[in-house]
Amino acid sequence: MTTNCCNPSPTQQTAEPEAAVMKPRYFVDGTQEAYEVRVELPGVPKEGVSINLEENVLTLRAKRTPSALSDWKTLHRELKGLDFLLRLRLNTQVDEEKMTAALDHGILTLKLPVKEAAKPRRIEVQ
Amino acid sequence: MKLTRYNPSTLTDFDSWFRQPFVGFPSAAQVFSDSGSNRLAADIQEDKDNYFAQFEVPGVKKEDLKVELNNQILTISAEKKQTAGDTEQTYSLSRAISVPDGVQGDAISAKLENGILTVTLPKAEHRKPKTIEIA
Repeated sequence: MTTNCCNPSPTQQTAEPEAAVMKPRYFVDGTQEAYEVRVELPGVPKEGVSINLEENVLTLRAKRTPSALSDWKTLHRELKGLDFLLRLRLNTQVDEEKMTAALDHGILTLKLPVKEAAKPRRIEVQ
Repeated sequence: MKLTRYNPSTLTDFDSWFRQPFVGFPSAAQVFSDSGSNRLAADIQEDKDNYFAQFEVPGVKKEDLKVELNNQILTISAEKKQTAGDTEQTYSLSRAISVPDGVQGDAISAKLENGILTVTLPKAEHRKPKTIEIA
Protein backbone atom coordinates (compact mmCIF):
# COMPACT_ATOMS: atom_id res chain seq x y z
CA MET A 1 0.00 0.00 0.00
CA THR A 2 1.25 3.45 -0.75
CA THR A 3 1.97 6.07 1.81
CA ASN A 4 -0.16 8.76 0.25
CA CYS A 5 -2.90 8.71 2.82
CA CYS A 6 -2.20 12.24 3.81
CA ASN A 7 -1.71 15.32 1.71
CA PRO A 8 -0.98 18.75 3.02
CA SER A 9 -4.31 20.42 3.29
CA PRO A 10 -4.78 23.41 1.01
CA THR A 11 -6.22 25.31 3.95
CA GLN A 12 -2.66 25.49 5.27
CA GLN A 13 -2.09 28.39 2.92
CA THR A 14 -4.74 30.63 4.39
CA ALA A 15 -3.44 33.31 6.67
CA GLU A 16 -4.40 32.85 10.28
CA PRO A 17 -4.60 35.51 12.92
CA GLU A 18 -1.98 33.91 15.11
CA ALA A 19 1.71 34.05 15.80
CA ALA A 20 4.18 32.83 13.20
CA VAL A 21 4.38 29.08 13.03
CA MET A 22 6.37 26.67 10.95
CA LYS A 23 5.52 23.40 9.30
CA PRO A 24 7.39 20.55 10.97
CA ARG A 25 9.24 17.84 9.07
CA TYR A 26 7.11 14.73 8.92
CA PHE A 27 7.14 11.21 7.51
CA VAL A 28 4.24 8.95 6.63
CA ASP A 29 4.30 5.17 6.63
CA GLY A 30 1.36 2.97 5.86
CA THR A 31 0.01 -0.54 5.93
CA GLN A 32 -3.46 -1.79 5.18
CA GLU A 33 -4.24 -1.66 8.88
CA ALA A 34 -2.92 1.71 9.93
CA TYR A 35 -0.97 4.77 8.96
CA GLU A 36 1.89 6.04 11.01
CA VAL A 37 2.84 9.71 10.88
CA ARG A 38 6.05 10.77 12.56
CA VAL A 39 6.50 14.47 13.15
CA GLU A 40 9.68 16.19 14.32
CA LEU A 41 8.81 18.55 17.17
CA PRO A 42 12.03 19.59 18.89
CA GLY A 43 11.54 21.63 22.04
CA VAL A 44 7.89 20.67 22.47
CA PRO A 45 6.75 19.04 25.73
CA LYS A 46 3.83 16.62 25.90
CA GLU A 47 1.53 19.35 27.23
CA GLY A 48 2.31 21.51 24.22
CA VAL A 49 0.80 19.15 21.64
CA SER A 50 -2.79 19.34 20.48
CA ILE A 51 -4.26 17.11 17.82
CA ASN A 52 -7.62 17.51 16.21
CA LEU A 53 -9.34 15.52 13.49
CA GLU A 54 -12.26 17.20 11.83
CA GLU A 55 -13.81 16.43 8.48
CA ASN A 56 -10.81 14.33 7.53
CA VAL A 57 -8.36 17.15 8.22
CA LEU A 58 -5.86 16.34 10.88
CA THR A 59 -4.60 19.47 12.61
CA LEU A 60 -1.54 19.30 14.79
CA ARG A 61 -0.43 22.27 16.84
CA ALA A 62 2.70 22.14 18.94
CA LYS A 63 3.94 24.81 21.28
CA ARG A 64 7.55 24.88 22.39
CA THR A 65 8.68 25.62 25.87
CA PRO A 66 11.32 28.32 25.67
CA SER A 67 14.65 26.51 25.73
CA ALA A 68 16.51 29.68 26.62
CA LEU A 69 15.94 31.75 29.73
CA SER A 70 14.79 35.30 29.25
CA ASP A 71 18.01 36.84 30.51
CA TRP A 72 20.15 35.00 27.97
CA LYS A 73 21.56 37.23 25.29
CA THR A 74 21.59 35.85 21.76
CA LEU A 75 24.98 35.94 20.09
CA HIS A 76 24.19 33.87 17.06
CA ARG A 77 20.94 32.47 15.76
CA GLU A 78 20.31 29.75 13.21
CA LEU A 79 17.28 27.98 14.65
CA LYS A 80 13.87 29.49 14.05
CA GLY A 81 12.38 28.47 17.36
CA LEU A 82 8.82 28.85 16.08
CA ASP A 83 5.83 26.83 17.19
CA PHE A 84 4.58 24.17 14.80
CA LEU A 85 1.41 23.78 12.78
CA LEU A 86 0.71 20.86 10.48
CA ARG A 87 -2.52 20.19 8.59
CA LEU A 88 -2.98 16.96 6.74
CA ARG A 89 -5.98 16.02 4.68
CA LEU A 90 -6.63 12.32 5.07
CA ASN A 91 -8.10 10.53 2.10
CA THR A 92 -8.75 7.35 4.03
CA GLN A 93 -11.36 6.89 6.71
CA VAL A 94 -9.55 6.72 10.02
CA ASP A 95 -10.88 5.24 13.23
CA GLU A 96 -10.78 8.28 15.47
CA GLU A 97 -11.45 6.33 18.62
CA LYS A 98 -8.36 4.19 18.17
CA MET A 99 -6.00 6.99 17.19
CA THR A 100 -2.90 7.14 19.38
CA ALA A 101 -0.10 9.64 19.79
CA ALA A 102 3.22 9.32 21.60
CA LEU A 103 5.97 11.88 22.03
CA ASP A 104 9.52 10.67 22.52
CA HIS A 105 12.79 12.59 22.16
CA GLY A 106 11.08 15.34 20.18
CA ILE A 107 9.35 12.98 17.74
CA LEU A 108 5.57 12.63 17.78
CA THR A 109 4.34 9.29 16.48
CA LEU A 110 0.70 9.26 15.43
CA LYS A 111 -0.97 5.95 14.73
CA LEU A 112 -4.08 6.24 12.59
CA PRO A 113 -5.92 2.92 12.28
CA VAL A 114 -7.86 2.59 9.07
CA LYS A 115 -11.62 2.18 9.59
CA GLU A 116 -12.90 -1.33 8.98
CA ALA A 117 -15.17 -0.07 6.22
CA ALA A 118 -12.26 1.49 4.35
CA LYS A 119 -10.04 -1.59 4.36
CA PRO A 120 -9.74 -3.54 1.12
CA ARG A 121 -11.97 -6.58 1.26
CA ARG A 122 -11.95 -9.74 -0.69
CA ILE A 123 -15.37 -11.03 -1.58
CA GLU A 124 -15.71 -14.73 -1.91
CA VAL A 125 -17.59 -15.94 -4.95
CA GLN A 126 -20.30 -18.33 -3.86
CA MET B 1 30.81 29.39 3.58
CA LYS B 2 29.64 32.94 4.12
CA LEU B 3 31.89 35.94 3.92
CA THR B 4 31.24 38.58 6.51
CA ARG B 5 32.72 42.04 6.39
CA TYR B 6 35.39 42.49 9.00
CA ASN B 7 34.36 45.35 11.22
CA PRO B 8 36.90 45.92 13.98
CA SER B 9 34.75 48.37 15.89
CA THR B 10 32.10 45.78 16.71
CA LEU B 11 34.32 42.76 16.81
CA THR B 12 34.57 41.31 20.27
CA ASP B 13 36.29 38.06 21.13
CA PHE B 14 33.11 36.16 20.94
CA ASP B 15 32.00 37.65 17.67
CA SER B 16 35.15 36.36 16.13
CA TRP B 17 34.15 32.91 17.22
CA PHE B 18 31.28 33.09 14.78
CA ARG B 19 32.71 35.30 12.12
CA GLN B 20 35.53 32.87 11.68
CA PRO B 21 34.26 29.79 13.40
CA PHE B 22 36.70 27.49 11.69
CA VAL B 23 39.96 29.34 12.14
CA GLY B 24 42.73 26.81 12.39
CA PHE B 25 40.41 24.08 11.27
CA PRO B 26 40.04 24.52 7.52
CA SER B 27 39.25 20.91 6.76
CA ALA B 28 36.17 21.09 8.96
CA ALA B 29 35.07 24.25 7.19
CA GLN B 30 34.88 22.29 3.98
CA VAL B 31 33.19 19.29 5.49
CA PHE B 32 30.60 21.21 7.47
CA SER B 33 29.89 23.98 5.02
CA ASP B 34 26.55 25.80 5.00
CA SER B 35 25.39 23.87 1.99
CA GLY B 36 25.79 20.51 3.68
CA SER B 37 22.55 19.07 4.96
CA ASN B 38 24.42 17.09 7.60
CA ARG B 39 25.33 20.22 9.49
CA LEU B 40 23.51 20.78 12.74
CA ALA B 41 22.12 24.28 13.11
CA ALA B 42 23.06 26.05 16.31
CA ASP B 43 21.93 28.93 18.49
CA ILE B 44 24.52 30.55 20.73
CA GLN B 45 23.54 32.55 23.77
CA GLU B 46 25.18 33.85 26.90
CA ASP B 47 24.41 35.09 30.34
CA LYS B 48 26.70 36.49 32.98
CA ASP B 49 28.31 33.16 33.83
CA ASN B 50 27.95 30.92 30.81
CA TYR B 51 27.80 30.56 27.08
CA PHE B 52 25.05 28.25 25.81
CA ALA B 53 25.06 26.38 22.51
CA GLN B 54 21.78 24.77 21.47
CA PHE B 55 21.06 22.24 18.74
CA GLU B 56 17.86 20.60 17.52
CA VAL B 57 18.23 16.84 17.44
CA PRO B 58 14.71 15.37 17.36
CA GLY B 59 14.69 11.59 17.50
CA VAL B 60 18.26 11.30 18.72
CA LYS B 61 18.84 9.49 21.99
CA LYS B 62 21.43 10.40 24.58
CA GLU B 63 23.59 7.42 23.72
CA ASP B 64 23.70 8.43 20.06
CA LEU B 65 25.07 11.88 20.82
CA LYS B 66 28.70 12.75 21.25
CA VAL B 67 29.96 16.06 22.60
CA GLU B 68 33.71 16.53 22.48
CA LEU B 69 36.10 19.33 23.23
CA ASN B 70 39.46 18.99 21.58
CA ASN B 71 41.94 21.81 21.11
CA GLN B 72 39.31 24.51 21.71
CA ILE B 73 37.02 22.90 19.11
CA LEU B 74 33.64 21.77 20.37
CA THR B 75 32.29 18.96 18.21
CA ILE B 76 28.74 17.66 18.38
CA SER B 77 27.97 14.44 16.50
CA ALA B 78 24.58 12.81 16.37
CA GLU B 79 23.45 9.52 14.89
CA LYS B 80 19.86 9.73 13.81
CA LYS B 81 18.05 6.47 13.24
CA GLN B 82 14.96 6.48 11.10
CA THR B 83 12.74 3.52 10.51
CA ALA B 84 10.59 3.35 7.43
CA GLY B 85 8.59 0.16 7.41
CA ASP B 86 11.10 -2.62 7.93
CA THR B 87 14.21 -0.73 6.97
CA GLU B 88 16.24 1.39 9.32
CA GLN B 89 18.41 4.21 8.08
CA THR B 90 21.06 6.02 10.01
CA TYR B 91 22.06 9.61 9.34
CA SER B 92 25.03 11.35 10.83
CA LEU B 93 24.78 15.00 11.76
CA SER B 94 27.55 17.07 13.19
CA ARG B 95 28.85 20.53 13.91
CA ALA B 96 32.19 21.89 14.97
CA ILE B 97 32.49 25.24 16.70
CA SER B 98 35.66 26.81 17.95
CA VAL B 99 35.39 27.84 21.56
CA PRO B 100 36.82 31.19 22.64
CA ASP B 101 39.45 31.57 25.31
CA GLY B 102 38.01 32.10 28.72
CA VAL B 103 35.80 29.00 28.81
CA GLN B 104 36.41 26.45 31.53
CA GLY B 105 36.88 23.43 29.31
CA ASP B 106 36.66 20.93 32.14
CA ALA B 107 33.33 22.30 33.37
CA ILE B 108 31.36 22.08 30.10
CA SER B 109 28.07 20.21 30.53
CA ALA B 110 25.37 19.01 28.16
CA LYS B 111 21.67 18.32 28.58
CA LEU B 112 19.16 16.71 26.22
CA GLU B 113 15.50 17.59 26.62
CA ASN B 114 12.59 17.17 24.18
CA GLY B 115 15.01 16.82 21.28
CA ILE B 116 17.00 19.95 22.15
CA LEU B 117 20.64 19.61 23.14
CA THR B 118 21.96 22.41 25.33
CA VAL B 119 25.70 22.62 25.91
CA THR B 120 26.66 24.93 28.76
CA LEU B 121 30.14 26.45 28.60
CA PRO B 122 31.00 28.19 31.86
CA LYS B 123 33.04 31.37 31.57
CA ALA B 124 36.29 31.49 33.43
CA GLU B 125 36.33 33.79 36.45
CA HIS B 126 38.43 36.46 34.77
CA ARG B 127 35.96 36.70 31.86
CA LYS B 128 32.90 37.43 33.96
CA PRO B 129 31.74 41.03 34.13
CA LYS B 130 33.00 42.73 37.24
CA THR B 131 31.97 45.90 38.98
CA ILE B 132 34.82 47.88 40.36
CA GLU B 133 34.14 49.73 43.54
CA ILE B 134 35.28 53.31 43.62
CA ALA B 135 37.27 53.85 46.76
